[in-house]
Amino acid sequence: MLKTLFAIVWQSALLWLVFRLGTFLVQALHVALPGNVAGMLLMFLLLVTGIVKPAHIEVAGGFLLKHFAFFFIPISVGLMAFGPLVRQSGVALLAILVVAAAVGVLVTGLAVQALNGRSPR
Amino acid sequence: MKLVIFAVCVAATLASYLATRALFMRFRQPLLNPVFLSTLVIIAALKATGATLADYQPAKEAMTFLLGPATVALALPLYNNRQVLKSQALPVLAGVLSGSLATIAAVLWAGWVAGFARGILISLGPKSVTVPIAVEIARLSGGEPPLTAAFVVATGMIGSILGPALLTALRVKDPVARGLALGTVSHGQGTAVALLEGETAGAMGGVAMALAAVFTALVAPYYLPLLLP
Repeated sequence: MLKTLFAIVWQSALLWLVFRLGTFLVQALHVALPGNVAGMLLMFLLLVTGIVKPAHIEVAGGFLLKHFAFFFIPISVGLMAFGPLVRQSGVALLAILVVAAAVGVLVTGLAVQALNGRSPR
Repeated sequence: MKLVIFAVCVAATLASYLATRALFMRFRQPLLNPVFLSTLVIIAALKATGATLADYQPAKEAMTFLLGPATVALALPLYNNRQVLKSQALPVLAGVLSGSLATIAAVLWAGWVAGFARGILISLGPKSVTVPIAVEIARLSGGEPPLTAAFVVATGMIGSILGPALLTALRVKDPVARGLALGTVSHGQGTAVALLEGETAGAMGGVAMALAAVFTALVAPYYLPLLLP
C-alpha cells in the first residue's frame, strides 16, 4: 500500500516533468500545439527509444487514466458563467453542437471502419 | 473561511464523481455520464448555496493540476498499441482528418442556418479541439476565446454522451474506430469515455485528440474563411 502510494507520487512527478518540458518546448519553438499534447508525444518518443520504461510510469499513469474523466468535472462547472447566453439561445446552440458532433462521429467512425475492413489484418 | 469553501468544493466534487462513476459502471447508460451528472450536481449545489464560480475557482485549480501529467500518461496506452498505430496508419490519419473537417463544416453550416453572427460562428469553429488549442485558434481567427472554451466543454460532453450510442447504432464495433471517433469530436472528454470502453479505444482517443488538435490548428487559418459567409 505504502509502496504503491510512493510509486504514484514519484511517477506523477516524472509525468509532470515531461508535461512541463512539453509546455516549455512548445513555447520556445512557437509550435501550434498545447503543452500537454506535446508532452504526450514526447513521452511516447521516450518510451519508443527505451529511455523511459513502461514500468517507470505505469502505476501513476494507470491511476490517472482510470480517473481521466474526473478532471473534466471542475472544467465543465465553468459553463455556469454562460447562463445568460444559454437562456437566450441555448437550445439553438445545443442543436448546432449536437448536429456537428454527430457528423464528426459518423464520418470518422465509418471512415476508419471502412478502411480497416478492406485492409488485411 | 476560504479554506473551508475550498475543502467543501473539493470534497463535493470528489464525492459526486465517485457516486456517478459507480452509477455509470453499474448501468453503462450514456446519459449517466459521470462528467455530465457531476457537473449538474455541482452547478446546482453552487446555485443553491448562493456561491459563485469565483468561490469554486481555487478548488478547480487544485483538482485540475494533474490533468497535464494525466495527458502525458496517454503515451502509455499509445505505446502499448504502437503495432495497431503502425499497421493502421492510413485509417487513423484519414479518419481523424475527415472527421475534423466534417465537424467544422457542420458546425459552421448549422450555425449559419440558425442565424448566428460571424463572431459566434468563428468561436464555434474549433469546438472539437482541446481547450488550450481551440482558444488560440479562436483568438487568431477573430473569435471570442471564452465562448470557444464553453463550446469546447459542451461539445466534449455532447460527444461523450451521444458518441458511443451513435457508434453502436451505426454498428461501428472496432475499438480503433470508436476511440478515434470519440477523440476526434470530443477531445479529452471523448478519450475519457473511450478509456472506459477499453485500452485500445482509449489509446486511439488520445491519438485522435492530438492529431485533431495539430491538424485543426494548421488548416483553420485557410479553412474557416473559406466556409464563412
